Amino acid sequence: MTDFALTTFSSKGKLLQIEYALNAVAKGDTAIGIKAKNGVVLVVEKKQSSILIEESSVQKIASLTDNIAATYAGLGPDFRVLSQQARKLVKKYDLKYQEEIFVQTLSRELAEDVQIATQRGGIRPFGVSILIAGYDEEGPHLVQLDPSGAYYSWKATAIGKQAKNAKAFLEKRYNADMEIEDAINTALLTLKEGFEGQITPTNIEVGVIRDDHVFRILPPSQVKDYLEELE
Amino acid sequence: MSRGSQGHEFYITLFSPEGRLYQVEYAFKAVKTSGLTSIGVKGTDTVCLITEKRVPDKLIDEKSVTNLFNVSEKIGALTTGIPSDARALVTRMRYEAGEFRLKNGYYCPVDVLSKRMADLAQTNTQYYQMRSYGVETILCQYDDELGPLLYKLDPSGHYSGYKATASGVKEQEAINYLEKQIKKKADLNYDETIMLAIQTLQNVISQDFKPTDIEVGIVTKQDKKFHKLTNEQVDHYLNLIANRD
Repeated sequence: MTDFALTTFSSKGKLLQIEYALNAVAKGDTAIGIKAKNGVVLVVEKKQSSILIEESSVQKIASLTDNIAATYAGLGPDFRVLSQQARKLVKKYDLKYQEEIFVQTLSRELAEDVQIATQRGGIRPFGVSILIAGYDEEGPHLVQLDPSGAYYSWKATAIGKQAKNAKAFLEKRYNADMEIEDAINTALLTLKEGFEGQITPTNIEVGVIRDDHVFRILPPSQVKDYLEELE
Repeated sequence: MSRGSQGHEFYITLFSPEGRLYQVEYAFKAVKTSGLTSIGVKGTDTVCLITEKRVPDKLIDEKSVTNLFNVSEKIGALTTGIPSDARALVTRMRYEAGEFRLKNGYYCPVDVLSKRMADLAQTNTQYYQMRSYGVETILCQYDDELGPLLYKLDPSGHYSGYKATASGVKEQEAINYLEKQIKKKADLNYDETIMLAIQTLQNVISQDFKPTDIEVGIVTKQDKKFHKLTNEQVDHYLNLIANRD
């Protein structure tokens, strides 16, 4: 059994496996998150390689609990496994404290699992960056969790193929007084900027949490309305 | 091997400098070493799985050669790839489906089984202990709540529901053919589902089949038990297709 760590320091002091994992993330479909005064929105590309795939069987925005959701850029199977672990963390916390978990706490605990994969023997780092969006007692949160295990709170961010351009676009358009409706429009506009081909309600997924603390994935009919407003 | 790689990423599931997992990509190639092609098609109340049946030696008991398995009474599995890996996976699927039934009191739905098997496959891409299985699995079931279901699992830990799909040597050709056919007509009845599956296989392998050259498994709304068609039944469809053309 190979129990030695393969994520080890290079002669220059770098952890190359983590950098390579970030390269895997940079090849993934773009995901964008924006935190408004009264909510958070996640928007992600959902390009299907074939019309034969049942869209409903693939969900890129996963709900972790009623008021927290996550999406990703990078390796799908890795995200699935991490979101399952996150759901277990939520339940463990609930069992112990009989309370809704804070977004910061969940991020911190999930980040620990991600970091372990960069140090322990017998395992490679996760090949995903995750955007966690939630609304708890402290207000709206948007957290980005990277393959290294580092996580930061963001006002607005993007991960995946178009991350650089999207973030430049967001920097110009973000303002702290944004309401959730503006944020949804801005997120869709940002995704549209770098989108290959025509953006439609079925090749993207949009998830929103408002100040009612309930996360919802918008049905295609609602997404269609927002896209039409952009015109 | 580019600058920065130590070469290890070809032997175990480490990231390459570009962020690729070579071992997983190689596992996909291993699926094609079997030389066979498999097809799955979902209709409005039927799901059909079909594969080539090649008995490697005349002395082999042809009843023991199969890639079509019952994972439970209701779930059918079609494996393509390394035969021994396939058997190991089928055993594991039977175990998982059985455990679910024991713990929860009702038959394991195929989407739950698919996710579980896919999560297990993902661990082989992340932990060094075991290599990925060189197998793609197509699963089907007629679910009481969700209707006909068709899922495909692959060595990367990815899984998805499909209207129709294919695995193996002629996977891409079969998928292209199926996309064209499904665009023309997506609601297929019992006969149409089976015929589309057989037709697709014939089309990409460009060979005339005898009923003993293929295995066909189906599950329907009326008969939710997954079962294989007999040679006579397969012959009936081959004739229907031949007469039609």
